[in-house]
Amino acid sequence: MSESTALPERASKITVTGLRKSFGTNEVLKGIDAVVAEGEVVCVIGPSGSGKSTFLRCLNKLEDLTAGHVVVDGFDLADPKVDINEVRRHIGMVFQHFNLFPHMTVAENIMLAPVELKKAGKEQAREQALALLEKVGLREKADARPASLSGGQKQRVAIARALAMNPGIMLFDEATSALDPEMVGEVLQVIKDLARSGMTMVLVTHEMGFAREVADRVIFMADGVVCEEGAPEDVFGNPTQPRLREFLSKVL
Amino acid sequence: MIGTDTTFAPFEFRDSSGELTGIDMDLIRAIAESQGFEVEIRSLGFNAALQALSSNQVDGVIAGMSITDERKQIYDFSDPYFESGVQMAVDQDDTGITGYPDLAGKTVVAKTGSEGEAYAKSIAEQYGFTVKSLDQSATMYEAVKSGNAAAVFDDYPVLAYGVAQNNGLKTVTDKVPGGSYGFAVNKGQNQDLLAAFNTGLAQLKASGEYQAILDKYLAAPQAAERSSFWDLLTSSFPALMKGLRNTMIVTGISFVVAMVLGLLFGFFKISTSRILRGIATVFVAIFRGTPLLVWAFFFYFGVPQLTGQPISLWVAGVLTLSLNSGAYITEIVRGGIQSVDPGQLEASRSLGLGYGKSMQRVVVPQAFKIMTPSLINQLIIMLKDSSLLLAIGFAELLYQGQQIYAQNFRITETLFIVAVIYFVAIMALTWLANVADRRFNK
Repeated sequence: MSESTALPERASKITVTGLRKSFGTNEVLKGIDAVVAEGEVVCVIGPSGSGKSTFLRCLNKLEDLTAGHVVVDGFDLADPKVDINEVRRHIGMVFQHFNLFPHMTVAENIMLAPVELKKAGKEQAREQALALLEKVGLREKADARPASLSGGQKQRVAIARALAMNPGIMLFDEATSALDPEMVGEVLQVIKDLARSGMTMVLVTHEMGFAREVADRVIFMADGVVCEEGAPEDVFGNPTQPRLREFLSKVL
Repeated sequence: MIGTDTTFAPFEFRDSSGELTGIDMDLIRAIAESQGFEVEIRSLGFNAALQALSSNQVDGVIAGMSITDERKQIYDFSDPYFESGVQMAVDQDDTGITGYPDLAGKTVVAKTGSEGEAYAKSIAEQYGFTVKSLDQSATMYEAVKSGNAAAVFDDYPVLAYGVAQNNGLKTVTDKVPGGSYGFAVNKGQNQDLLAAFNTGLAQLKASGEYQAILDKYLAAPQAAERSSFWDLLTSSFPALMKGLRNTMIVTGISFVVAMVLGLLFGFFKISTSRILRGIATVFVAIFRGTPLLVWAFFFYFGVPQLTGQPISLWVAGVLTLSLNSGAYITEIVRGGIQSVDPGQLEASRSLGLGYGKSMQRVVVPQAFKIMTPSLINQLIIMLKDSSLLLAIGFAELLYQGQQIYAQNFRITETLFIVAVIYFVAIMALTWLANVADRRFNK
């Protein structure tokens, strides 16, 4: 997919300009500009505390923006008149700790949004849930409780749940960081399949090999700013910034 | 229509079958029969009976009422129908105390505000004993029997009746003459009724029936046969079950109201609005920071004086219990919701569900599971706390128990039965709550 590094003819899905985010007096994001094109897979890497997770959480306004703009599908999240719930229906999110709803079955987890938001009837929602579970290889777990699943299975269910509203964008917040090593592969495989299907995706990850393989573009963040970005072969193979070189020497 | 007190044995009290009986009752009924008028008795409580008389809701009051100069200003009294007085009693096995000089250095008990208390205090210094005041005859007698007090000073008829009921005491001094009791009507009204009472009373005295009535209640000590524990259990059971029913109903209603209050203020507490958080904090501070009993008195006695509107016992009871528990449940709800992983709300919000829907479908169901043990605990505390409502005369389980031992003086056994009933009720409730918990919170 290296040919898709820069495709100006493709419409932009997410446009971030001058994004700043502070928690109290601590400024975590210090002015970020970024564009994600339709169908593009962007991996965000960087040392812990660099603000990459906060950046991702601003893209669906799980964090309020302190300054700047995040425009998703033409909706500016900084505009208080924008119905954030409507925008979020088009953005699926997968969390480090899965956040499955423990009081519901696997299928109910996936059906919750379509049913509550009147997108589908119960029957239809269940059929769709089973189809999504099929896709992540867990159809037989439809009526199990999340507590009975392994970490890798939980994260695959969480991905299926995030896909239930047919989102145009998927956000992954360190989706494999909480997994035992032997379960990382099955989750990465599902994400890879999703990337190949043409989904627009932004992933915060520590899996450098995976980023190199699957990303169209890599953003390296440090100290709340974008330090370097580019095609994976450039970022990993020919880093220009000392901070990036230092980071790569530690993780590779 | 005649008003009377609720319990002033042996003048008026309810026998084990719940019928109003006593010296006053027998007298007024006998007089009514001989003088050819019909009598309907309303057991209102002493103060309420006098209020009812003043407002002409009843025609007369007979309630073991002393004839005093102050009362004569407002009411017309009949001829005295009973000469009261103060007497001293000690434990029936006590041979060491035969008169006031034996009390030196000891403690005696007397009823708060009674003639007995006034008399005991008047001679306390002379004989070198101390006087401790208690509220109820039954508890005074228990204090003597348990050895916490050497002797009791009480109204002679009340004491005589107690001794006749085997309360375990014996009288050791002569009665000190005190006030006399009279039947009262409003000043200048119902003079026919008053005259009929006096005529009837004179006739009863002449025929000897008057003495027969007195003897029936004050006769030779140990006249009544001491019944077995089983008899006590079977005779008191209906009244106690009525009390248990009231306890359950007032607890049930109060718990529902407290849940509504607790959910409301619990959500206020986690709200982003500083005003709502403030309201909830003040609510919790007030009702968690003040005793339940204060509120019971405030609602039942204070509010009617502020508003001029009488308040029903049920309303006062439910307000007291539900506001108190509501404060605790507010904290349980807040704690329950806050202990749900914040990631749950984020996951739900990220799917496009609004705050309300996310709370309703994702956070609150999990919070309830966490809250359930605390809520069951609160329910049980509330059921036990409802016994405090006896202080305002709410006929719950312990109140019914008190009514029973006020009449038969068997405090320990009656309280034991009451405790067992509470225990069984609470065990049953706990079991039920746990079954419900397992069913709904899988």
